Amino acid sequence: MTPGRRIEGDWYAGSVPENVVLDATAYVETSFSFTLFRSRLPAGVRYGRGASTYLGTLFDVGPQGRVTLGECALVHGARIICDAEISIGDYALISWNVVLMDTYRVPFDAAQRRRELERVPAREPRVACADVPARPVRVGRNVWIGFEACVLPGVTLGEGAIVGARSVVASDVPPFTVVAGNPARVIRPLTDRERNRHAG
Amino acid sequence: MIATPDNAVPAPGRWTHGTPPPNVLLHANALVTGELAFKRFHSTLERALVVGAHSTMDGVHFDLGEGGRVSIGDYCYFTNAVLLCELELRIGHYVMIGWNTVVTDTDFHPVAPAERIADAIACSPLGRGRPRPAVLRRPVVIEDNVWIGPNATLLKGVRVGGGAFIEPGAVVTRDVPSRARVMGNPAQIIGEAP
Repeated sequence: MTPGRRIEGDWYAGSVPENVVLDATAYVETSFSFTLFRSRLPAGVRYGRGASTYLGTLFDVGPQGRVTLGECALVHGARIICDAEISIGDYALISWNVVLMDTYRVPFDAAQRRRELERVPAREPRVACADVPARPVRVGRNVWIGFEACVLPGVTLGEGAIVGARSVVASDVPPFTVVAGNPARVIRPLTDRERNRHAG
Repeated sequence: MIATPDNAVPAPGRWTHGTPPPNVLLHANALVTGELAFKRFHSTLERALVVGAHSTMDGVHFDLGEGGRVSIGDYCYFTNAVLLCELELRIGHYVMIGWNTVVTDTDFHPVAPAERIADAIACSPLGRGRPRPAVLRRPVVIEDNVWIGPNATLLKGVRVGGGAFIEPGAVVTRDVPSRARVMGNPAQIIGEAP
């Protein structure tokens, strides 16, 4: 990274915000990922050792939002909609067009939603950011999330869980469990054999 | 059209990347962003696309075939939705559509295998000028106050009733009653809109 937090060779003429804390070994493909980043916390995003985010990743993070990426976490292209906290554990793998959201960003009540929509055009940038309750999302260590899956507010994915492509996860997933479907259901636990196999 | 709260004269509607096609009408203070907005806009109808006052179309793809017509009401807010239209999409006021959601009024190709072969040939580089078989098109109607989450899909012919709540990732293949909350693939009613 060059001074001014520009990324060398970045196709997008932006920079990485000051309150994005990068480990020296982390990788950010493009500053485009921060075009909707509005966190005012001292560490709105924290990249761990060897963590990386690629092209399609977008941090749609509100003023009080906090995102953490663990060691060697690899986010290929997630839309991270965060007003409270989204934590991504060590070695987690997140595929393209995944949605991780800790908030619906709008009131559930239609009349209140209309009032929020009337405020949107006056904002710069124009975003919906109603003050509605957010529930943290926790993606455990070594979790693998397939492409275009959605993880809804309040969900915890246990260590080593696997989420099938295009699943919609609305409730917690136990550790070392495969889930898939919309809404996601448990397919099977990982076998002892799988859990005890060692790399190399 | 809905007046602005302070009755000031609102700015005209605009596209951040130039002048939209001549058959696009952006009402006052409507905003369309993204250079790809009209890359696949092929409608030749006179009023092919109308975007209502104060609506925000952030990164939306308006992919309209020759005879496609899309109308969007006031105070709508869509982010990176893909609107695929060969016939008609009618979208009311105060509608929100989330990131990467697709709304389409056609499957683009026929179901019958023999027709699909004819279609594949007509679409191929060998098909120059050959007519394509007719394909089913059915209008999609989204009424006022509907919320549609990210990564959802709305297929041809569906009518989404006022105030309905479509959860992220839902695949909507049938009509959704007013104020229903739906989820899943295929989308099922899971309760009243909260």
